[in-house]
Amino acid sequence: MSGARSGEPVTADRIVEALREVLDPELGLSVVELGLIYGIEVVDGRVTVTMTLTAPGCPLHDAMLDWVRESVGRVPGVAEVEVRLTFDPPWTPERVALDRTP
Amino acid sequence: MIRAARGPSVTLPLRYLVAATLAFVAATAGVVWLAGDLAGHYYRPRVLALAHTVALGWITLTIMGASYQLVPVALEAPIWSERVARWQFVALMTGVVGLVAHFYLAHWPGLLWAAGLVGVGVALHLVNMTLTLARVTRWSFTARLVAGAQVGLALTLLFGILLAAARAGAFWPYGLAAVHAHFHLALLGWVAPMVVGVAARLYPMFLLAPEPEGWPGWLQLGGLGAGVPALVAGLLALPALVLPAALAVAGAAVGHVAWVLRFVRHRKRPALDWGLRFVLTGTAFLPVVAGLGLGFALGWLSGPGPAVAYAVLALGGWVSLTIAGMMLKIVPFLIWNRAYAPVAGRGAVPTLARLAWPAAEGASYALVTAGVLLFAGGAAAGGAVWIRLSGVLLVAGALAFAAALGRVLAHLVGAGPRRVAPLRVPGP
Repeated sequence: MSGARSGEPVTADRIVEALREVLDPELGLSVVELGLIYGIEVVDGRVTVTMTLTAPGCPLHDAMLDWVRESVGRVPGVAEVEVRLTFDPPWTPERVALDRTP
Repeated sequence: MIRAARGPSVTLPLRYLVAATLAFVAATAGVVWLAGDLAGHYYRPRVLALAHTVALGWITLTIMGASYQLVPVALEAPIWSERVARWQFVALMTGVVGLVAHFYLAHWPGLLWAAGLVGVGVALHLVNMTLTLARVTRWSFTARLVAGAQVGLALTLLFGILLAAARAGAFWPYGLAAVHAHFHLALLGWVAPMVVGVAARLYPMFLLAPEPEGWPGWLQLGGLGAGVPALVAGLLALPALVLPAALAVAGAAVGHVAWVLRFVRHRKRPALDWGLRFVLTGTAFLPVVAGLGLGFALGWLSGPGPAVAYAVLALGGWVSLTIAGMMLKIVPFLIWNRAYAPVAGRGAVPTLARLAWPAAEGASYALVTAGVLLFAGGAAAGGAVWIRLSGVLLVAGALAFAAALGRVLAHLVGAGPRRVAPLRVPGP
């Protein structure tokens, strides 16, 4: 998975589309719709996703980060993926919105 | 990266929840079997056997099993020891089966031994939870109530063992008043703080509602904190305390209902699944139970029939519907996490909703709710026929509930990470 192979530039929009496939299994909403994605940074095929979880003790802690890493890693052109977890600011339900852009 | 509290192995809470479900089915069958006894006075060995099947087998095992899954989420602190929790399960299961059997047989020396085994299991739980709570850094509303519930559980156990010893040796001076105190310690000192405390953390998560705040929280903390000790003291020795204590507990109920209504009004989750319908219907029973409690405190209600109806609406309506709903949320999550989380993102996996069996859950909801209402009405009127009919509804509802959970558990067979090759993902 490298930029040379795909020939297309990696953009934040393409990363968002990939993240729409990552669903919270209980709520059936994507991490994007839930407002868990705080930021996406793309530099030369290296992607940094800054995100939160609905609660610090979320039982899906490890799994959710893996799903985000794997989903972004499958986007053509992505060379590296880093997922940064933060609880500042903490997530609130006000962040939930369908068809949102982070 | 921030490290969050880890949940335990899924088999730990599952063993408690499966055992609790079996106890639920057994208890509902007991309503049919003991309908004649239930239409009379509640202080009979076989009725007490049924009461402990519900209180210990169904409710306490559910709360303890769910605690091991939910407490790390609610308190953001991992469980102190899974091994202790496994030994606790063995002691509790043996003790509960022995206790119920010896109550049924009215064999008091055996009852005392079984109560001792229950005591070992509860003591292990208390040690585990106390050391877990010692890791908590933020004493939230939930943490305070979970801590208070452990005190209530310890006192309930102490009363229970004293009552069993009294049965074996007949030296306890308080008679029926101690039974009433034991019941209210279990309901209001152990079960209520756990339900109310965990609800404040989890209902907003499930309903996508704002975090609770404001006066209802203080009403719940103050009402239970002041009301429960006063009620027990009032029942045992100081009757003047009973009415103010009942008012304080009713205030706590008002606070809890106010919060739940706020969650529902401001939720962002549009559709309610059956688990949430169970929970919310259970909450609707709470004002009725609180009103009946006040009725007893004021002297407007008395006698074994209304007392059984009160217990049925409290344990069968509020508590049972609430914990059944929570179980319908917890068990699919545990199974999904075990069977599908490792392969999610690499292939098609079902959502939690697809694991559920809505028809069985809906049937259980309708049958259990109708059964509880009919049971309470039949008990208040002293009608064995109505109680037996309610028991039939409850058995059918409990079996539908068990079938719904069984279908979820079946996903453990044949689904899993072994079928999918690991995915290589570029990393930083």
